[in-house]
Amino acid sequence: MASTQHVLLSPAELAYLHASLSLTPPIRPDGRTPTQFRPLVAETGILPGTNGSARICFADGTEAIVGVKAEVERTKLSRVGPADELEGTRLVGDVVEGLAGAGGTENITEKEEIATNGADWVELSVEIPGYRDDDAGTAFLSAMLAEALLADGEFARKLYINRRFHWKLYLDILLISPPLSYPLPLLSLTTHLALLSTRLPRLKSEGDEDPFFDDDWAAAPYLYPRRKGDSGKATSKPPVSLLVMAVGNSIIFDPSKEELAVADVALAVSIGEALSSSSTSLGKKATTEDAMNLDDGEGRSLRLLSVRTIDPPSRLTPPGVPNATNSAYGAATATQKQPEARTAELEAVEGVWKAPRGGAKPLVMAALVQKVLEKGGVADEVLDALDAVDLV
Amino acid sequence: MPLDTSAYSLALLRVDGRRWNELRRIHAQIRTQAAADGSSYFEMGHTKVMCVVNGPSEPGPRRGGTAAAAPGGGQSKDAEVAVSIVVAGFSSVDRKRVGRGDKRILELQSTISSALTASLHTHLYPHSTINISLHVLSQDGSLLAALINAATLACVDAGIPMTDYVAACTAGSTSTYAANDESADPLLDLNHQEEQELPGLTVATLGDSDRVAVLVCESRVQVGRLEGMLAVGVDGCKQVREILDRVVREKGRRMLQEGTVEKGVGLDEMDMD
Repeated sequence: MASTQHVLLSPAELAYLHASLSLTPPIRPDGRTPTQFRPLVAETGILPGTNGSARICFADGTEAIVGVKAEVERTKLSRVGPADELEGTRLVGDVVEGLAGAGGTENITEKEEIATNGADWVELSVEIPGYRDDDAGTAFLSAMLAEALLADGEFARKLYINRRFHWKLYLDILLISPPLSYPLPLLSLTTHLALLSTRLPRLKSEGDEDPFFDDDWAAAPYLYPRRKGDSGKATSKPPVSLLVMAVGNSIIFDPSKEELAVADVALAVSIGEALSSSSTSLGKKATTEDAMNLDDGEGRSLRLLSVRTIDPPSRLTPPGVPNATNSAYGAATATQKQPEARTAELEAVEGVWKAPRGGAKPLVMAALVQKVLEKGGVADEVLDALDAVDLV
Repeated sequence: MPLDTSAYSLALLRVDGRRWNELRRIHAQIRTQAAADGSSYFEMGHTKVMCVVNGPSEPGPRRGGTAAAAPGGGQSKDAEVAVSIVVAGFSSVDRKRVGRGDKRILELQSTISSALTASLHTHLYPHSTINISLHVLSQDGSLLAALINAATLACVDAGIPMTDYVAACTAGSTSTYAANDESADPLLDLNHQEEQELPGLTVATLGDSDRVAVLVCESRVQVGRLEGMLAVGVDGCKQVREILDRVVREKGRRMLQEGTVEKGVGLDEMDMD
């Protein structure tokens, strides 16, 4: 879908765009710096009928609304050990276990219960106008957003009520405008804000009784609890997925549709804010993440949650024809029936567009991820900006 | 939860405290989104809808998905009005997922499409399509009416020539069909609770006139009560039209002040208050 939608640019235009983006510093068509996001307007708590909601409008006119609704659901009692589960859920289990610390064995099996069911406790749906809801691209988007949310580890624990009941969270993500650019950053940021503003009724019952809630909405605690005093900012944050792409040696954030059309590599990087206590226990899980954990004393410590490559539409663009082989410029035509097909195999000619082939180089990938997690970098900036949004 | 209508006869007040001929609070905005040709936001009590209009445009390169799959537009002499409604899962009290193929949604779509086709000057745009996408964010009765009003506003914003506003409203009756109460009063603008219990209809009229553009009645009602309900509904449509008109004029004046649009020749004579 959106990532592969066709951009009406000629090979010459693509070559020009590619060249100007590969400069240092890159020159972007809309004049932004490589790490600059499009300006956005955000508001939360727009729908009183939901547990949490948010709306974000990007300056290019794309707009998304996310509503979160929660229901109490009976927990399925399955006695499956976490060892048989998938990698993702096992990670959740380990983190939860780590947080439980030196609790009794009974406590831990209970937490395992959360971990094994955690993935079913969140249902995420993405609606994009003009696309079917079972469209591959839409399904990929929602899978990516859900993955980031659950990889966070502690998320399922927030939905735990008691051993018999849990909250089921429904996230409905609506793209209001037609998808002008790949909507992942927009949807992710909106989801982030909606989750931050989500509140669940305060539990009055104790233990494993049937849950009974306080009907005073003003007393309802936030899903992501606030720090007392310090201007009420949340202590932990839902994840954010950022879109990053590489062109030549440049790394560009929040690419527009045209920029994505010349991308060598496009990555969706999901980051979360590590809890100071759990960051060590997670660090030993994945060795690669160890290096990425940037613990900066007073600031936030970012944590890499997931990385996905996005198939950039640049792979489907038609190649340019160099003058040397172009019959219009007097090249021999006798042997060439399909000049495009042949030039695609040829070596790159300066100034002639050629669609990128093959996978991304590991060094480029590492650079992209490093750039995202950089202290005081884009991720920090985005999280700071989202912090500034008033939560209603 | 059954609606207690017995109290109505005592104070002549409805469950939400309105009198029989009062509309709920209506709030509307146009040009809410920069990317679209036309857009609007419409709130009728707790019913909240958003509308985005794209077009009229000739079918370009196929963009994949269902939007391009819609036939028509291509060959016909008139523009085709394609309406798509997305009901958000979080819009009702209990979360319910409504698929796009839902029969009720399809009926709403075709009702809105035919109502607007009659009002818009579709003959000016041959071989093209006007894409209207409506998003239901919150519902509390009178959904069809809110959708029609939002679509009208968005079409005005998109600058598609039309004969007049299509303003819609609902009307009902104070007692149920089964009660067979001869002295039942008509009600204006039903909320969700009233809509569940009482007979009701949705009516849309063309501008100031009494010409009915849409009339939908999905409940059983004695024919004797229908006339009263319709009269109240048409009266409500006129009030809604005034509100829509005010919103458009207000926005127009602000755009002139900000210099977003140049003051045209025709605008001088227009009464802009």
